[in-house]
Amino acid sequence: MMLWVAIKATLGLAVLSQPEGSWRAVLDLAGGPLPFAVRIDRAGRGWRGELCNGVKCQRFSKVRVVGDSVILENADYAATMTAALRGDSLVGHYHNVGSNGPRTIPFRAARGRWPITRAPTSLVGRWDATYFQDLETSPRVFEFRNTLAGIEGTLITSTSDYGPFSGTASADSFAIGYFDGSFVYLITGQLKGDTLRGIFHAGLKTQTPWVAVRSTGAPHLKSPTEITSADTTEPFRFRFPDLRGRLVGNDDPRFKGKVVLVDVFGTWCPTCHDGMPGLLELYHRYRGRGLEIVGLAFEVTGDTAVDAPLVRRYRDKFRIPFPLLLAGTSDVEGIEAALPQLHGAGAFPTIVFLGRDGRVRRVHAGFHGLAAGDQHQRQVREFEEEIEKLLDEKRER
Amino acid sequence: MIRFLPVALLVSNLAAQIPPDVTMERSGFVSWLKTGSNSPLFAIAQQRVGEGLRLGPTDADIPLSGVDEHRVFPGTAGLVLEGPDGRRPIGRGGPHRIGRYALYLSGRQGTVLTVFGDSAAKEPPGYYDYDASMVFTGPLIRLAAPKQLRILGSDGIEVEATEVGSVIVPLGGRTSLRVLRIPFSGGDESDLEIYFRDETNGNGTYPAGRFVSLYPLPNGQFRLNFNRARNPFCAYSSVYPCPAPWRGNTLRAAITAGERYSGGGLQTVPTEPAE
Repeated sequence: MMLWVAIKATLGLAVLSQPEGSWRAVLDLAGGPLPFAVRIDRAGRGWRGELCNGVKCQRFSKVRVVGDSVILENADYAATMTAALRGDSLVGHYHNVGSNGPRTIPFRAARGRWPITRAPTSLVGRWDATYFQDLETSPRVFEFRNTLAGIEGTLITSTSDYGPFSGTASADSFAIGYFDGSFVYLITGQLKGDTLRGIFHAGLKTQTPWVAVRSTGAPHLKSPTEITSADTTEPFRFRFPDLRGRLVGNDDPRFKGKVVLVDVFGTWCPTCHDGMPGLLELYHRYRGRGLEIVGLAFEVTGDTAVDAPLVRRYRDKFRIPFPLLLAGTSDVEGIEAALPQLHGAGAFPTIVFLGRDGRVRRVHAGFHGLAAGDQHQRQVREFEEEIEKLLDEKRER
Repeated sequence: MIRFLPVALLVSNLAAQIPPDVTMERSGFVSWLKTGSNSPLFAIAQQRVGEGLRLGPTDADIPLSGVDEHRVFPGTAGLVLEGPDGRRPIGRGGPHRIGRYALYLSGRQGTVLTVFGDSAAKEPPGYYDYDASMVFTGPLIRLAAPKQLRILGSDGIEVEATEVGSVIVPLGGRTSLRVLRIPFSGGDESDLEIYFRDETNGNGTYPAGRFVSLYPLPNGQFRLNFNRARNPFCAYSSVYPCPAPWRGNTLRAAITAGERYSGGGLQTVPTEPAE
């Protein structure tokens, strides 16, 4: 009898010890757990999986199961999560390597899905926040709403949003996180009267206190068009190799007389990944009327052998039909040296709008993605209006 | 009044147990030291790029055996690496490969080039046994007016840090330790760091001192775990400049916790405290 129980237990463990299914996952930051979801499925003889923040999911580049270890890889950010599978739990760590060594954050997961919790009406809406850093304060905007997956929020800066945060909320407090394999963010807060107070957690142990009040509608952030300026007196010049090594410049016939959006991006930049579907939509909608787009990739190494495969993967991921050029390295000096007509460039992505005469009409620093809600919609409208206006300009003779 | 108190229960219950997060941190760090292409144990040279550096020949700024002459210099479009195969831009980070060597560029106040070989000069030095009595929890006593100052980080690269306050620990009497916020390059992250000296320096640990991070807790307190103390990179290789000890951060006690020192590294270490 005892032997039978032992065998059953062993078999039971063997059956349970498969990683497929939905997982409620957290990174254990110093200030509390950052929640997200993981889904693992069989794919032929191997495995595949995705990482989700609320309704937004992204594929792991590779999922491996070695013995009782599950290894979830995100090649875009050279990051891995390695965990031991113990029946209904995964316990391990998230790991990626920077210049000062590895960043290691405890990771754990339990089988199942996160319960759906909704944001109280007292929290839903737009809040003007102020971060209290050591030497200064700086503005942010929070937006909270309810989706089919429950509470969703985001954090908006002058140039971008931080993606869709998901998590939990009660009558007067909330904890929502965003983790995409690179960014590790958690916002915790409490409502007291008409004021929200809380902590913004970045990575394992960085914490920034903040205070927020209901947005009145008055501008709280700097406009994305006021951050980077450009020389508008002459056509905007660029000339860089494409992925086949052929030099492509602003004087290429495909751009002549066209309205051109120059997308300054990097494959390492999550906000650029967020922004690309919107750019593709604009491209397909307006191309017949004379819109062109060119992507200028500013990568980490500047080494074609390293960078070109990354840009190819980015191109293939989004099925990008317009040219992507290897423009240089992603540090500020690299951008300024490659594009000397831009001043104060540093936000990724930055979208430079060129009129049919090739001159700069607008520089939009950063990108507010879907998670930014109204800010995203306003940005889409502004892009469309600007493109329509530029398309309507007469061709230069 | 003692401001930083030992976590008494941990002392009695967990004296021989390493918390899982510390185990993971150490294992990830040791693995990187042993195999990472930018592990300080692989470092063979570090210099400021300035107006340019020659690499390769025996009379070069950085001689690299088996490598033809290369140059790294600021070009019109950022830094350039030039060699027999032509020239190409190179950015911060890396690795940029030349033969069996990996080049990394770092630094905010002027670019610094570090060259790494393909094998470690020695084994990682290892750790003292975990000592739960070396874990303290308490408040960070914040400065009314935080001060900015330039220091060398643990990797020997100059960085703009902010002195945010101090913690007081009940070791060697009561010792106040200055706490500086050191930003990561780019992004929102930073570390609250303490660079400290103690009576093990030169006798088990690196003579110049060690770094340890302060961990914020959900209740507004902070945890200082000396078992997480780690060497500056100059302890692994004499390639790296050593941060000068921070004024006042000397404990009159032996901190037999955290990373040890097994020789090598920079032999002449700064003794004058930094401001």
